Amino acid sequence: MHLNTEELVDVAEGSRPEASLPHLAACEPCRTQLRDLRAMMSAAQEVEVPEPSPLFWDHLSSRVHDAVEVGPPPARQWGFGLPRRSSRDVAASEGGEPSRFAFVASRWFQASVVVAAGVLLAVAVNLRTPAPAALPAVPPSVAVADASVPAELLSDVAADDASLTLVASLTDQVDLETAREAGLAPRGSADHAIAHLSDSELRELGRLLREELARSGA
Amino acid sequence: MGSSIAGTFPGSWPTADTAGPGTPLTMPAADDRPLDELDESGLVGACLAQRAGAFDLIVERHRRAVYQLCYRFVGNHEDASDLSQDVFLRAYRGLRSFRGQSTLATWLYRIGVNVCLNRVTAKTTLGKLTEPIEEKQFVDVRAESPSELMLKDERAARVRAAIAQLPRKQRAALIMRTYHEMSHQEIADVLGSSVGAVKANFFHALGNLKKLLAEGQ
Repeated sequence: MHLNTEELVDVAEGSRPEASLPHLAACEPCRTQLRDLRAMMSAAQEVEVPEPSPLFWDHLSSRVHDAVEVGPPPARQWGFGLPRRSSRDVAASEGGEPSRFAFVASRWFQASVVVAAGVLLAVAVNLRTPAPAALPAVPPSVAVADASVPAELLSDVAADDASLTLVASLTDQVDLETAREAGLAPRGSADHAIAHLSDSELRELGRLLREELARSGA
Repeated sequence: MGSSIAGTFPGSWPTADTAGPGTPLTMPAADDRPLDELDESGLVGACLAQRAGAFDLIVERHRRAVYQLCYRFVGNHEDASDLSQDVFLRAYRGLRSFRGQSTLATWLYRIGVNVCLNRVTAKTTLGKLTEPIEEKQFVDVRAESPSELMLKDERAARVRAAIAQLPRKQRAALIMRTYHEMSHQEIADVLGSSVGAVKANFFHALGNLKKLLAEGQ
């Protein structure tokens, strides 16, 4: 009987001596499998992760710092009478246990609320008879694109508009990450573009800026 | 960096699963030593005690390992960078659930693997598996001739691309076992499977790696 996968892995890794499996000495297919396993382990071990630019590490730290600073506090209460995520759910999704689906589903639910709010707003605006004074400050695209805008910022505009008030209340607890997952983050913004430049693009940007500064005599 | 992110921490330290909502939880004893003198449990305590810069230091200490883990999963810098950020963000939000039963590094790996497994799809990996050569210029290349380097680079790129095409659990088992020296039991804990299943995934990962490399030649 040939060696099973567990025995082959143990022997290939050296945690079990070949001598403990007499079959190996007599079986060419098993020996071939063992050789292949060792060859692939060796091939994989040789591969290094390319070292990014030395500037990358501080850039990563800054991104994390900024993301954490603007993010919502842990286990916040979401609206609509939904059950609050328990600490077990949080721990499970962070640590990787069973309720990953529940977490993802809830995120998608939140994202879909943002989208639904945007659609609702667009419909409401279209259905209204002309009321230019009430709406110009917050066009629908802005309200949807930056879904993290707190309700109080929208409330000034929405004070006398029921549809805007509804949208503001729907979106006030949706954070940037949720909006981004829903495809609503302002990807065209300069900040977004800079944050996603590759190292070579950053170097080229730096070169162009230095060139421009030198030309202007700054 | 500027102001600390620690000020937004929830500031509670669960000591037992039985602690109900609203139950006062025990805070770690205050440690007034400078942050860079604290060990990891002290640093976690400092985060939860809202000390400025504490989480920044955790990021600084673990960012390379987390980035490398993510890079192994996706095979390109851009996605690895985004995933690394996500790992730390989730770690920050879940820091209260860190009970010190494993090292902080292992806990971060656990989060990292799950973030990668959840986020890695065919869409994010295919088409980005091989980066332009100029983006790999920071690999230490001393003591090797240009032709040797090029061959090594190509071989490494092929292996990385092949690993990134493996089924998710096989990829996770291979990465954790090969590059992070985690035991089969630790991997089983992270993946929520048995040691036998981990070994089987590792075995099939190596078999599929051989096939993918042969197809690419």
